[in-house]
Parts: sequence; C-alpha cells; structure tokens
Amino acid sequence: MAAKAKKSILYIILILLAVICLMPFALMMVNATRSGSEIVHSFTLIPSNALAQNWETVSGYFDLFKGILNSLIVSVPATLLSSYFSAMAAYGLVMYKFKGNKFISGVIIIFMMIPGQLSMIGFYDLITKMHMIDTYWPLILPAIAAPGTVFFLRQYCEGALQPALIEAARMDGAKEIYIFHKIILPLMSPGIATMAIGAFIGSWNSYLIPLILLNTPEKFTLPVMIASLNASTDITANQGAIYLAVAISVIPILIVFAFCSKYIIGSISAGGVKE
Amino acid sequence: MRMKRAAAFTLAGLMAVSMTACGSGNGGSAKGSTSDSTEETKNEAAATAGKKDASEKLVVWTLADDLKQFAERYCEKNPDVQIETVTIAPADYPTKIQTAMRGKQTTPDIIVGEPQMLEDMYEAGYFEDLDQEPYNAQDYADKIVDYVWDVGKDADGVQRAISYQITPCGVFYRRDIAEKVFGTDDPEEIGNMFQDYDTILSTGETLRDAGYKIFASDMEMTYFSGDSAWVEDGKLKIDQARMDYLDSCVKLYQNDMTAYVAQWSTTWYQAMGGSVPVIDKETNVWDETEMEEAAENGKTTEIFAYGLPAWGVVTMRDHVGDLSGKWGVCAGPAYGFSGGTYIGISALSEKKELAWDFLKFCTLTEETLDWWIEASQGDVVSYLPCLEKHKEDENTVYGGEKLYQFFLEQAEGIDYSKVTKYDKKINDAWAAAIDSIKTGEKSKEDAVDEFYDVVASTYPEIEIQR
Repeated sequence: MAAKAKKSILYIILILLAVICLMPFALMMVNATRSGSEIVHSFTLIPSNALAQNWETVSGYFDLFKGILNSLIVSVPATLLSSYFSAMAAYGLVMYKFKGNKFISGVIIIFMMIPGQLSMIGFYDLITKMHMIDTYWPLILPAIAAPGTVFFLRQYCEGALQPALIEAARMDGAKEIYIFHKIILPLMSPGIATMAIGAFIGSWNSYLIPLILLNTPEKFTLPVMIASLNASTDITANQGAIYLAVAISVIPILIVFAFCSKYIIGSISAGGVKE
Repeated sequence: MRMKRAAAFTLAGLMAVSMTACGSGNGGSAKGSTSDSTEETKNEAAATAGKKDASEKLVVWTLADDLKQFAERYCEKNPDVQIETVTIAPADYPTKIQTAMRGKQTTPDIIVGEPQMLEDMYEAGYFEDLDQEPYNAQDYADKIVDYVWDVGKDADGVQRAISYQITPCGVFYRRDIAEKVFGTDDPEEIGNMFQDYDTILSTGETLRDAGYKIFASDMEMTYFSGDSAWVEDGKLKIDQARMDYLDSCVKLYQNDMTAYVAQWSTTWYQAMGGSVPVIDKETNVWDETEMEEAAENGKTTEIFAYGLPAWGVVTMRDHVGDLSGKWGVCAGPAYGFSGGTYIGISALSEKKELAWDFLKFCTLTEETLDWWIEASQGDVVSYLPCLEKHKEDENTVYGGEKLYQFFLEQAEGIDYSKVTKYDKKINDAWAAAIDSIKTGEKSKEDAVDEFYDVVASTYPEIEIQR
C-alpha cells in the first residue's frame, strides 16, 4: 500500500513536471495561430484562425525555408567537425602519455571558463583581415575547437575505454588512425552523440555571431531572420508571426533530438570490455 | 566504474537541457522599441528591391520595416538601382553597426538610428557630414520640422541625419467618456484638464468618482516629463517639474486613479478597445484566475486616457475595435517626443552620391511623403510642405480630428536642447525610484538617494549635488 502511494506521488510529480515542460511549447503552437492583437489582449489555449495570415507575414519578410537551409548548412558541418575533432583530442589526451598532457588538459578547462562574447570584437577583426565576412566559414570552422566537448569526452573516455583494448589492436597490427576510426569512435559514440546534440542546438540557436558576421539577408540564419520580425512595425503586430516562425524553426531540433536520444539510451550499456 | 559513467550521463543530460533552455529565448529578444508602419503595405516588401541585373546597388541597414517600402518605391522610379534592405532588431543594431564600422566595411551605404542611439553614433564618426558639397543639406533646413532637424545634428551643429517622420506626444482620450463626465469632448478643453500635474490629479479624481480611471498605468505622462534637461553643464538637475511628475505618479497610484497595469501589458492594450476588470493593488494582473475572478465579480471599468507619441495613432488604431471614432487627441502637460528613425549616410560608403539621392527621396521629396501618408495611414511626416497640405485631413478613428495639424503644433513646441545622451538610463532610474515610492517600499528620501547612487555609478562624469 505504502509502495503504491509512493508510486502515485512520484507519478503525480512527474506528470506535473511534464506539464510544466510542455506548456510553453503548447502555448507557442497555439499562439502561432493567433493574431498579434489577440495575443496581447488575452491568454488562452484555444487556437484561433490567424495561421494563414501569420504565414503571409512571415513569408513577406523572409523565406523561412531558405533560413532553415542556411542554418542547416552552418549547424550540420559545425556539429560534425566539433564531434570528430573533440573525440580525437579527448582520445589522445587520455590514451597517449606525453609531456605536457596535464598542462593541455588544464588549458582546455581554463578556456571553457572564458565567455565567447569577450573575444567577439577581436574575432570580428580577425575575420575581417581574413576576408571571411559574409561567409559561413567563421561560423563553421571554430567549432573544431570546442573545449567543453573535449573536456566531457575526456571524462567519458577515462570511463569507457580500456588500454587493453588498444594494446590488443596494436598487437594485431592496426595503425593508430585505424584504431581510432574502427574501434574508438564506435565505443565513444554515445558520449559523442550527447555532445553533438548540445553542439547542434548551440549552433542552431546562435544569434549574435551570425548577426554580426553575415550582411546579406539571403545568407541569414534562422534566428537572425526571426529577430528581424521583432524589429519592424508596432511590437504587437508581428507577435503571431514570430510565434509561427519559432514554432517551425524548432522542428529540426526536435528531429535531431528524437534521433540522437534513441542512440544514447540504446547504447548506454554498450561497451567493448566486460567489467 | 558504473557510477562514474552514470554521473557522466547525468551531467551530459543536464548540459543538453540547459542549452536548449538558453537557446529557445532567442526569438523573443529585443522587445520594447517601436516604430510605425501599417499592416496593409508591409507584406509586399522584400529584402531586395529592384531588378537583379541593376547596374548600381545600395545597401540599407535599418531598424524598422518602413525603409523597405521606401526602397521598393525608389526602385520603381529608378530602374537601374537595386536596394538591399537589412532589418536588424533595435537592441542589436548598435553592436552590428559598431563591428561593421570597425571592420572598415564599405557597406552599408545607408545607416539609421533612434534618437537615443544617435549621439554615440555621431561621436564615433559613423555618419557622413551632410553640410558639405555635394549634399548641402542646409538648403533644405526650412523644409523640415525644427526639432527633427536638430536631432539630426551632432554636438558641433553639423547635419548628420534626417528623419522623414515626427514623433511628438499627445494625450489620447475617450470622447464618449469626456462627453458624459465633463460635458464636452473638445480637444482644447480636455487639453486644459491635462495642463499640469495638479490639474491631472483633480481630473483623475473627478473621473474616479464617476466610475472611470484616468489612466491604465501611472506612467502615461512619462513622455511629457522631459520639460527640462537632466544634465546641464555636466551637473545633474532635478527641477520642480520632475518632482511634480514623481508626486503625481505616486498619487495616481495610491489614490486609486489608475487600473494598476503596466504599460504595454495585455490589459493595457485591452483597455484601448473597451472595459477592463477593476482590480485593486493586491491583484496580480499577470495571473489569469485572479483576473477572471475580478471580471466575474462584475466589476469593470473603462480607461479615459493614454499618453503616446504620434506613432501611437497607428498602434491604437489596431486595437480600438468598436471604439473606433470615439477617441480624441489633445495636448499634454508639456511638449515631448519619443522615437523616430533618423537616416544618414555611412562615412565609409563608396556610393555616397546614390545614397544621398535615396536619402533625399525618403526625407525631402514631397511626392514620396505624400505617398507615405497614404500608405502608412496616419504616420506623421516631418516635411513641412506635406504637413501643410494635409493639415485639413480628418482621421475618422479619432472622431475626425485634424491630427496632422495637431502634431505639427506639438512638434513646434519641442525644445531639443533639453535632450541629453544620458536620458535613457537616468529616466529608467527615475522610474525605478517612483516605483519604489508608490508601492511604499521606500520613503521618498531613500528612493531619491538611491536614484543619485545609480546615476553616480552609471555616469561617474556627472556632478551630483544632493
């Protein structure tokens, strides 16, 4: 009886938390169908009929699908680069003994603490000198150096990889890079997937850097485009359109998360060496 | 081993969640700034106006959608020009301009600014000097409303930017309520009831006794409070009018004359189109159930007046609903203005001549501004010959009042020398002081003291005499 009561309390709390988590999303979907005037006048969960009108407003300002495409062009390579190179760095730091190993790890942790905004003006000047303003390169390439990801994957490697495994592979005559690609990467994939979600979301939502570096409206990423809805006319007039644009822009993130989370949960118990 | 791995996953999960949480706020950033335009025309505007193969291309970085429509129109008239308009949220606009100018970019050609941004932009040298050849902007000085012309000048009196609109403030009031309570809805006579803060308080009391509220929020008169400069000769100055404004805000709140809502909140907009629930100080307006209870108790009230700049004409039009035609506009206790988009040429542009032609087209061409009055349905332009011509136009939403004439008169009273670059932050601090006094959180002395502290720490260069 006591166990049952305990369980029901647990379920009630979980349901409550789920509602709290999902409520903003539901509101966003509902507000996407309401006009700006309706949104500022009242609060409700009943959809209205301004969806088509909101869509017209959005497409009057920019091509949302071009924005999604632009964001994908930036986010996907950035995520892949960040995952691959961070995994490589983490593996190297954990498995190879060399002078300065500890020092490099320390430096990585220190760099994790520096907020990106601090270096923005310097970064902008650098990009100008390199003539990469108004291109996607400065948004994609810096993803290679992701201290946070390296740090996390290093911890992960320490837990998940056994030196014996690599020694065995070496004994069989595998080259180092082959070992990394064929043995280590699959073993690290749950950890990489976890960080990839974060990297993708971060890149997808990134606003300030693309805003400053991109000048041509056709090249804008999604957040920059959506923010321009905010900039125009009476603040209330575009509210519905903003909700609609945000609702649509969330879809790719949901897809990525659904895809990757299955991967994570599925491989939590996977491992190369029996403990 | 297992524990460690579990811990690592928990950490990863937390990180992923927190990233989503931080990220999803992006779409909603940069609220608060406003400009005017209409829903009817804005949908047609595209980012790039004109033909793709046009021989010349102009790049415009703007804060609001208006310039897109101007660009379309310009390209219709000049088929060999292509104009790319980039709209940037006002909160990020200074950052974007700053970095671009640092990088010595030759685009944009046209840059804009709101009054509170302009002084910093002038000092940084972003704007081209319009007084020199070949622009000779001063030739047009008598064509533009004086205060707008002055806002466009830097500290040395050099013309840097021009605006196509004026944004003087007025009191928007309900004609039907005025008729019932005061027996007249004449803007002159109602204006007399708002002529100073004492009169406003007694007007508020009369309305309260008749079952109405004079304002929705107690901050409606904030646009009119800038009757004297905050900073004079490097010294902070609080004159009597500031104190009167403070006292009136506190009294409006404490003596139950407002609906206790915040400006730009849901209920604030709702009151433009009809009655709103009566609430007392304890009711939380953001709480749906409390608001519903208040509504079910059958107690509703109506709001008599709003204080808004000229672009409020368009804002209000979109929210009045059935009350269309029952609103009027009259003068407030002082002159004031708020907002406006000022257009200038980037000092680094390589197409200054073309940029000047576009600027002239937007701000100094009668034909364009006539069209804009039509297209925007109520925006008030700064070009005097146009204002003269539309003087007799009647706006039906406001009971057929001649709004162009009214706003022109208000604009003529504005003294721009009273505006300083410190205004925004000092005003915010002053509003915070008023807030803490009216809710009884602090005594008047403590609050004013804290106001001094805030100003001193924000602007150490200002001399303060307590």
